[in-house]
Amino acid sequence: MAMELEYDRSLYGVEHKAGPFEITDAIIDRANSSVGETGPAFHSDEEAKKAGYRGRIAPPTLCCILVRQVSLPDVKVQFGRTQMHAGQRVEPKAPVYAGDQLTASSHLKDVYAKTGRSGTMVFVVWETTFSNQDGQVVAEVQESFAKRE
Amino acid sequence: MPYIDEIELGDEIGPVEKIASDEDVLNFCEIWDAPKPNRFTDPEIAAKAGMQGTIVPGIMTMAMMAQLLTDWGGPGAIKDLDLVFRQPVPHNRALTLAATITDIREEDGEHLVECDILMTGTEGERYVGGKAIVALESR
Amino acid sequence: MHSHSVSSDDSRATVEQYVKWIQVLRKRGHTVDGIVLTEHRKFDFGKDYSALADQYNLRVLKGSELDTRYGHFLVYGVTQALTQEIEFSDVRMDARTLMQAARQHDAIALPAHPGRFGIGLTDYIAQGESFDDVEIVERLNGGSRPGENERAEELCQSSNLFGIGGSDAHLTSHIATCMTDFKANIKTESNLVDALLSKEFQPVWLKDIVTGASQS
Repeated sequence: MAMELEYDRSLYGVEHKAGPFEITDAIIDRANSSVGETGPAFHSDEEAKKAGYRGRIAPPTLCCILVRQVSLPDVKVQFGRTQMHAGQRVEPKAPVYAGDQLTASSHLKDVYAKTGRSGTMVFVVWETTFSNQDGQVVAEVQESFAKRE
Repeated sequence: MPYIDEIELGDEIGPVEKIASDEDVLNFCEIWDAPKPNRFTDPEIAAKAGMQGTIVPGIMTMAMMAQLLTDWGGPGAIKDLDLVFRQPVPHNRALTLAATITDIREEDGEHLVECDILMTGTEGERYVGGKAIVALESR
Repeated sequence: MHSHSVSSDDSRATVEQYVKWIQVLRKRGHTVDGIVLTEHRKFDFGKDYSALADQYNLRVLKGSELDTRYGHFLVYGVTQALTQEIEFSDVRMDARTLMQAARQHDAIALPAHPGRFGIGLTDYIAQGESFDDVEIVERLNGGSRPGENERAEELCQSSNLFGIGGSDAHLTSHIATCMTDFKANIKTESNLVDALLSKEFQPVWLKDIVTGASQS
């Protein structure tokens, strides 16, 4: 008998908004220091200008960190107890500058089952678009989570 | 930074070796206000989730992978970074990051390089794997 | 014999990138004659890679890798009739039913990475399950963790099984890391099924094969 997935299908097609998130120097500093990021354009206005930017920019995965502050609705997958972060994708579209105010818009992309070394898992995939204060899209982020038995 | 005409299929970026210390992970978790306690910084919670110890957050490994690419191609080089977190990544252990160039093409006037990117452990563990698209300058 | 393109949820490689990468391998002196795409839980009837294959003088064949309650199974020679009888997306199907249905429809289903911890056939056999229809398994798998291919090898020896090799590539540069060296010249999926039934093949590592006829 095929495995029927039970979850809240009414979430498809619904956008969940979050923000604004202020990109402070302190956030960029912390993102840099925790991974030993030394790229000069991520550290100062002066260095960023040398690389052709109008000011200090955030490292390209900052939106992937911010996305964890977007509270997404429960997909109500009737499966599994533990949830793991299974994958993440970012497509940077425009620079994120120190001082930007970003907003996020997220929607449910997919829910599906598969089996792996740790047994049957159900994957939940969300897509989030980040835009800046001028309405310009700065990044598309996709996250997938695996629920396992 | 390399120019597009200096690149050939099969070229490697890296490898570089990195370590994520307990302090680095704690620092990283504070950026996004990770709910505490969590499996990244608390050994008991990690054990309850079936881990052998505290783990490095996937998005932190992603930031490390991105660094490999921006160090090579420049701060705005990444067009796409798409990763699968295959195995829990332990703290305080040597992590090797490397990319292999698998495609070179021009798209909408941009010179793009696509690569496989991997984070591996000293015992052959494939912690994180995926692909990236990086834009390079032409002469 | 075992590879995943972007058509599978967890792969990041396009078929074109695989094919281009094989040119890199050929330049390095390796012989690779073809690949078989085995997308997870589906069969891509609509996809035709023949033009690409001709352009690069390579065979690009299609199969499937299905999840079953006894681990993953590779299926070669998939037909419409088989997909009507077996729900390919059902992750809890009985592998024995799949193997029998495959043979009835001139296809063949065999266990992928049987030594894989937690999900390999060896674990299910250890739990007391038996699989009388299994004659061939994937003995070498490029995605295996240390010890897993060794477990597959032991299974082949203890149960007198034949073995193929597959890269299980999900990334471009992992294609063809393990292959199967066939005696027959294979042009179609149906040739591939016949070649498997002939049992005239052996699994090989890319690093060990610089010349010879191989299918990844």
